[in-house]
Amino acid sequence: MLIHWKSHFLWALCLPLLTISRSLASETFEEELTVRALRDGKVASRFSFTTILDGETPRNPQNLSVEDTSQHYTLFPLTLGQILREYAVTEMHLSLNAGKWNYKRWGYPDEADVGSGAELWAWMGDGGVSTVDERWRGLRNGLAGLFCASLGSLDELRTTSPSFSFTPQGGVPDSPFPYAIRHASLPSEHVCTENLTPFLKLLPCKSLSGIASLLNPHRLFDADWHGMGLHVLWLPDQGVQVRLTFQSVADPLRPSANKRDWSFASIFDRTIDRTCPSATSSRVAVALPINEAYSIHPQPSSIEQDHAIFNLEGQNAPLDVSMQWAAEFEYLATYFRTAETPLSVRRTLQGSSQDLGKLSVFITNDGTVEIQAAYLETMPWIVQFYLHTMTFHVDGVPRADLVHNISYIPPIPHSRAMTFQAVLTLPSRSTVHLSIDITKAFLRYTEHPPDAQRGWDLSPAVLVPLGPGAEGRGRRIYTPTLLVDLATPDFSMPYNVIIFSCSLVAFIFGSIFNLLTRKFVVLHAESN
Amino acid sequence: MLLSIPHLILLLFSWSWGIHAASPSHEEIVGDFFNKNGHAGSTSNHTNNWAVLVCASRYWFNYRHMANALGMYRTVKRLGIPDSNIILMLADDAACNARNKFPGSVYANPGRGLDLYGDNIEVDYRGYEVTVENFIRVLTGRMEPSVPRSKRLLTDARSNVFVYMTGHGGNEFLKFQDNEEISAFDIADAFEQMWQKRRYNEIFFMIDTCQANTMYSKFYSPNILATGSSKMDQNSYSYENDNDIGVAVIDRYTHYVLEYMERINKTSHETMRDLFDSYDRDKIGSDPGVRADLFPRPLDEVRITDFFGGVAQVEVQPPCVAEDVSLPGDFSSEGDVSLSNDSSSEDQQSAQSPVHAGGKAAGAWGQSTDRGSDGWRGTRAWGGILLLAALVGWAGWGK
Repeated sequence: MLIHWKSHFLWALCLPLLTISRSLASETFEEELTVRALRDGKVASRFSFTTILDGETPRNPQNLSVEDTSQHYTLFPLTLGQILREYAVTEMHLSLNAGKWNYKRWGYPDEADVGSGAELWAWMGDGGVSTVDERWRGLRNGLAGLFCASLGSLDELRTTSPSFSFTPQGGVPDSPFPYAIRHASLPSEHVCTENLTPFLKLLPCKSLSGIASLLNPHRLFDADWHGMGLHVLWLPDQGVQVRLTFQSVADPLRPSANKRDWSFASIFDRTIDRTCPSATSSRVAVALPINEAYSIHPQPSSIEQDHAIFNLEGQNAPLDVSMQWAAEFEYLATYFRTAETPLSVRRTLQGSSQDLGKLSVFITNDGTVEIQAAYLETMPWIVQFYLHTMTFHVDGVPRADLVHNISYIPPIPHSRAMTFQAVLTLPSRSTVHLSIDITKAFLRYTEHPPDAQRGWDLSPAVLVPLGPGAEGRGRRIYTPTLLVDLATPDFSMPYNVIIFSCSLVAFIFGSIFNLLTRKFVVLHAESN
Repeated sequence: MLLSIPHLILLLFSWSWGIHAASPSHEEIVGDFFNKNGHAGSTSNHTNNWAVLVCASRYWFNYRHMANALGMYRTVKRLGIPDSNIILMLADDAACNARNKFPGSVYANPGRGLDLYGDNIEVDYRGYEVTVENFIRVLTGRMEPSVPRSKRLLTDARSNVFVYMTGHGGNEFLKFQDNEEISAFDIADAFEQMWQKRRYNEIFFMIDTCQANTMYSKFYSPNILATGSSKMDQNSYSYENDNDIGVAVIDRYTHYVLEYMERINKTSHETMRDLFDSYDRDKIGSDPGVRADLFPRPLDEVRITDFFGGVAQVEVQPPCVAEDVSLPGDFSSEGDVSLSNDSSSEDQQSAQSPVHAGGKAAGAWGQSTDRGSDGWRGTRAWGGILLLAALVGWAGWGK
């Protein structure tokens, strides 16, 4: 009885507190899974988990010296919130991808950040007690701990500020001080279960219920392409938005050569057994094929713009959406003659020497209109451009006038990365060829990675279509990464050299010393 | 009369001082408290457990070293050390390697019965980050301020630390990433620095590499128990290949240690002596060694769970037991929708487990009389101080 009275009293105490914290910031959580079949028979899926902290603004860097307001969240991930507040990050994007996104066959991805490896970029305001670079280092390390990734090595050697290609996606609060961007990528980063585990821990329902229960590491990391992303934005009329995304491209044709039928059970090896009670909206959208006979199971809740929508609330558990095609899949050459995107980029590193080379970029515009595009190249200092050798050809004809607004921040050996930005005019139905001579650095003995013979991965270049009328405007196109082969010593050589030279010195010195110090005397052996 | 007042004050001082000296010293009380906290019947007096698991080898053909470290990871996690207290260093990514036919999985036995990578894993240092420098920084705690907690070994003077290393080694060195080496002297000095900074209570050092026993030969700090897979001039061998994975999947020594560990659970009373006695030279193919001269406790009193298990006991006072058991039951009946039957029955078990602590609770009861006498001493001391203050006040007022 006494216990009961006590618990009631506690409730009475807590209730006003609960209502106050509710009224301070309301949080909403929405989840969505988009599935679409691709032209080459593969299936692209995109998970998106959005949490909005209503009425919240990013921390003002000028208040960094003052103690921060306390953080009470119910759905918003606290571990992430602490990092964002601690370093006063206005906007940040992190992506961890594996594989090469094939724009030509798969079109534009649902989430733009598809560069191979790890990529992190953040917008931060200046004017605080600590500089942007100090906070950038803290952010890197904080996220490295949060996501079990090697983001700590995104150091000054890899950090650049390409403000032109990576503009803020959300709003930026008014401030007397300027905002700055920091961008770094690590193309050789692996993505595996240890990155997915903390990713799932940021979700209110973890992987226990809702569409997140489909995130099965054994199937996702078997996919042809997979990538996870974290996007933090400030939406001035709503609040701070955190969006966690996971994209994958599965191949139903792998087990059976001509059946492209898929289901949750076949792609993810799981089904959705229960809904996430914290989600205000939880739905699956499946893109429906056009001009093809198919069947989709179960019955969708509604159809919106060629998408079948399944609201998890109204569906019977377990939900296993499946799609069957009437016709068998055939590889038709006509499928791949035309690209899904008007722009396609090919980037290669030419030259077989370990000293000099040439970077050659072919950009094809298949569209009928001329496109302006910003081209961004960031390189660690180990690859240096000879900018005066830059040539620009359109279908073999030199057209230097089509390159404008070149900005180039040269690398500083051992300390700063290189940034090259330019606006290119890409005439319709033509291929442009950009080439620059490069030199490869000769590294110090200790600067080589443990697997030096593998070479160095170079970050992908980014092409951003600009201007009105261009299809895919504002979307980024990432090129594949490059591997550069630097002069690599034989790491056992120093020991050989030491041993050989010591032997040689000992031999020469020994004999000369012997000759100089020994006294040669002719002795006559006396007979008797 | 006036002369005698200072005498009186002195007398009172000495009286209260005597009381303080007679009562057990602060350190003893603290020591008693922590000893109470140890495992029931265990002689260890640690309050938290940590594990540092290092796989120092890169490349796919060293799959078995990744599996060694992950096998240990699984064992310590199963026995109750949480991810936040485990520093796992893997020099390469075997699970999502392009050569791995089973993505997201690492197996340590040829039948591929048990996936060591699972769905829930946190690797704290991986790939290029696994360096000698980072390993020594983890041990000694010399880090940049922005390094996150998950990458730090946040131990204190009451921590039992389990350090497991595997890789390719030789006489008094272990290779990291085929690129640099850590020597036996480096580890010995790092442990000494930890001891001086009061960063551990006891260390259990285990190493599986060729000539492993040379790696612990240079230790000189107290409270370190060490074991290795092979003696000087001996190789350590791999256990078995898996034909689908295509490489050896685990080393012999680690295989037999893990096989033994599978018999251990959180409440096990097996000791280190039992573990070391289980070493079979013929099966392992090398001479495993044990070094216990720095370790003060007798090995047959050192529980395996002192190092492999987390401290997980909760002191429960008898009258509350019934209430505590009923509460989780309520939750599980409410949350039936989200919990499967298995997990709720597990909850029941864990809720009932404090009953095991009954013996210890009785111990706490036995000590309650001591606590009563402590209270009496306290009253006497405070009374003395009050009397003193009254006298001083009276003397000052009298003047």
